[in-house]
Order: sequence, then C-alpha cells, then structure tokens
Amino acid sequence: MITQPAVRGADSELVSASWTDPEAFAVLFDRYSAMLYRYVSKRLGPEPAEDLVGETFLIAFARRTNYDLAYDDARPWLFGILTKLVSRHHRKEAARYRALLRAPVDATVESPADRVAAGVTAQAVRAELAGALAALPAKDRDVLLLIAWGDLTYEEVARALGIPVGTVRSRLNRGRRKVRAALGDTNPMEEE
Amino acid sequence: MDDLKLLRDLGVELEHEPPATLRLQRESLSRSRPRRRWAAWWTAGLVAAATAAAVVVPTLIVSDRHTAPAPAAWRSVDMSGTRNVLLIGSDTREGPGNAKYGPQQARSDVGQRSDTIVIVHIPADRGTATAVSIPRDSMVAIPRCGSSPAQRNMINAAYDLGGAACLRKTLESLTGLRIQHTVEVDFTGFKKMVNALGGVEVTLRRPVDDRASKLKLPAGKNHLDGEAALGYVRLRYYGDGSDIARVKRQQQLVQAMLKKARSGLSSPTSLKTFLSSVRDAVTTDLSVESLYALATDLSKTELTFTTVPWEPDTQDRNRLQWKQPEARELFSGLK
Repeated sequence: MITQPAVRGADSELVSASWTDPEAFAVLFDRYSAMLYRYVSKRLGPEPAEDLVGETFLIAFARRTNYDLAYDDARPWLFGILTKLVSRHHRKEAARYRALLRAPVDATVESPADRVAAGVTAQAVRAELAGALAALPAKDRDVLLLIAWGDLTYEEVARALGIPVGTVRSRLNRGRRKVRAALGDTNPMEEE
Repeated sequence: MDDLKLLRDLGVELEHEPPATLRLQRESLSRSRPRRRWAAWWTAGLVAAATAAAVVVPTLIVSDRHTAPAPAAWRSVDMSGTRNVLLIGSDTREGPGNAKYGPQQARSDVGQRSDTIVIVHIPADRGTATAVSIPRDSMVAIPRCGSSPAQRNMINAAYDLGGAACLRKTLESLTGLRIQHTVEVDFTGFKKMVNALGGVEVTLRRPVDDRASKLKLPAGKNHLDGEAALGYVRLRYYGDGSDIARVKRQQQLVQAMLKKARSGLSSPTSLKTFLSSVRDAVTTDLSVESLYALATDLSKTELTFTTVPWEPDTQDRNRLQWKQPEARELFSGLK
C-alpha cells in the first residue's frame, strides 16, 4: 500500500552506505534532525538549536567512517556528539534555568480543566525543578536529561557518553535525588 | 508525582518545534565541507551591513548643506543617468587583518566567497534607489568566464571562478541589466569604514556576551568601534537567533552609520575625508570623485531593500532558484 511507510533500513546501513555515497547520510538528517532539535531547544532554547543540530551532523558526517556498525541505531551516537556541543553552552543553559526561577507561572492556562492536567503540576514546581537543574553538575545533568528529555535507555546513554552503564545509573540516581530534594521530597509514594 | 515525569513535563513546556529553516542545515551537510561552515556563519553576519554601508553611506549621507563647491583639486565627474552597482560582501581571509577572522581558512587557501550579493539600482531620476539581495545559494546559469565553461551552479560559484567580473557578467545575463560598477568589501574594509566615522552608537535591548566573536556589551546605549561593530554584525546567538533578526541588526547598524555620518560629516571636507577612507576600505572601480558625485547627487534619494523572488530549486530542494516570472518582472521594472 502506498500509505504504508516503507520498511526503513537500520541507521548503520545508511552510515556504511555514506562511506561511498555521501548523500545517504542526508537520510539520517531527515530521520533525526527534528528529534535532536527538540532536545536542544529544551536545554538551550531555540536560538542555538538550529546551528547545534547542523553542527552535530557535520561532525557525525566527518566521523562516519569511525561508526561502529554493530549498532543499528545511530541515535546514541548523535546524542553523544550533541551533548559535547551543548556543554560549550553550559553558562547559557544555567542562565535559561535560572530565568525560569524568576518567570511567573503562565496564567493563561489557568482554567479549571487545565488545572487537573499533569502539566500544571510541573508548572507549579517549575521553579524548583529549574533550580535543581541549574545546580546539578554537568555530568549528572547530561545523564538525567538524556533519559528524561532525550528518551534514551541506560544502555543508550552509556554508549552516547562513552561511560559504563553502572556509571549512568549512579549519575542518574544522584541527579534524581537532588531533584527530589529540591521538590521537598513531598511525594510519599516515591520509593527508590 | 514521579520526579522524572515532572521533568518530562517541564521538557514539554520548554520544547520548541523545529523551524522550516532547519532544512538549510541539511544543505550544508550535502556540501560536506565542515571546515567552511564557521566561515559562512561569520560572514553571513557581515553581509548586508558591509555591503549596504559601502554604498548607502557614501550615497545617502549628504544633505542639502553639502552643495558647496568641491575643492579645486577635485575634478567633477558626471555620474548622471541610470546606474547599477553590484555590491559584493566577500569573506576572503587574504590580505592583512582579515586572517584573524578565520586563520585556518587563510592557511588552507580556500579562496573567497561572495556571501552577500546585492544589486543597487539607481534610477536616472534619483527618486527611489532599490537594493536587490541575491541569495548566494541561487542555482543559475553561469556564462563562460575565462577558462571555466558555462555551467549551472550556485551563483557565488561565479565569484569563485572568475571574481567580480564573472559575477557581474552572470548577473547581467540573468537580469538583463547593465551593471556599471562593482564594490567589494571584506572584514577589514568594514572595520575601517566604521572607524572612519569615529564609531557608531547602537541601543541594545539585551546585553551581549558572545564568545565566538569575543564581544561583550551591556544592555542600553553602546558606542561601537570598528572591531565591535564587526563583532555585532557577526553575532549569531543573540535575539531569537534567526537570520531575519540578524539582517535586522545589520540594517540597524547601517542606520547607525548613516546617522553618525549625517551628524558628523557636516562639511564637504570631512565628507571627502570619509569617502577617501571608504574608497581605501573597499575594492571598487568607482573613484573618490565618482563616489562624491553620487553622494551629492543622491542626497534626497530613498533606498528600498528587497530580495529576488525565490523558491526551492526543482533539482535540489536544498538550493534555491529564482521564481519566475516574478524575478523577471522585478528586473524589467528596474530598466
């Protein structure tokens, strides 16, 4: 059927195809540029996101012959490159979170129906969350946000950052503990 | 509530959808020239400011007070009639002073690119001049230039192939306009022009702290020398970060230069001193006398900015092609 999306090949096939046919690499861009953009836009806002995504793919392209073809999924690889680029902007990132501390909660969505929406809870504690993120050491923040905002698994984060899975776990736990502390540990249901 | 869930919700709140322009990043990928990338960014900022300044400032600064006769040493030049001037903002790193804006580029000898291409049309009646920006990624038919054969390529390839002469020839065949003069500006030239004005004033809504261009400015009114002004037009991570915002900053800077020029160059002598430094700062076939003649002649002329109507290229969606018949109509309206 025409409406059926074509069965897509593994990312690794595209990468290896791009060794001889550079155009194949552009398909990776089509697959993941929007996803990477959304991720950076959360951490740094829309201003640098476009360039960082572009730069991520340029770096990836330049290093495509080093790609380990044993991995089908190129996302961890791309997120790893992007994370390094984001780290150059750590001041901007911290400033972004601190700005949330001061910003008033958007009142335009305060209808009764919206109040029960999950997002409002997050809005109510936005300042606490932002403060905790701003205060986290960069390494812990990278892990926490790759999982929460990048939707990577522990193993994928480990691959992205080039660290053991055990280290991912310990950094994640440390990060989450600090976030919960900032939230006042108010949730009795929370159990580690 | 789960802390990860709260974080995800915060992420949703902070998230932005990718803009349509994200695809332009794909284009630079398919060119696969990563080393040139930064240069393109830096230069893109320079674009309008440098080129517009090169012509706009000398041509529009002169008010009625400046009609005093020129010193005898200056022969007068007839610049009447329709004039089309080609402005080229070049990102060359060659020549003293340019190398530090991309030393790697200067070493690797990657040549020069015309990152800004503008045709300024000055009608015979001097009523309204029109500056038409040509997107550098326009796919066009480039005629034979020297040893390189005719080809379909990006328009800035013409500059790479055969310099300003080839670009001029290409544009003449594309637009049907006769282009009498060219003005080329590079980084150093732009700085010199601002310095010749004694710097310019801009008012910033937000402070600037840009590591890429090493520029730090507080919010509010700022006095920029040539170096700072160059940094300012090359800024990328500022405002909403869009290309449109950057173009606006460049126009703001040109306005600031105009303002400074109008208030600071109140005598023909100081105007001529300034024009001489402009003449030294750019590469052009226009003499100082011609610039002066144009400047005095255009004292009442308005300037409008426009861009060639374009659409995605039919062969390569990541490039542009001129949209017809709109582009043809634009240029035939300028004859």
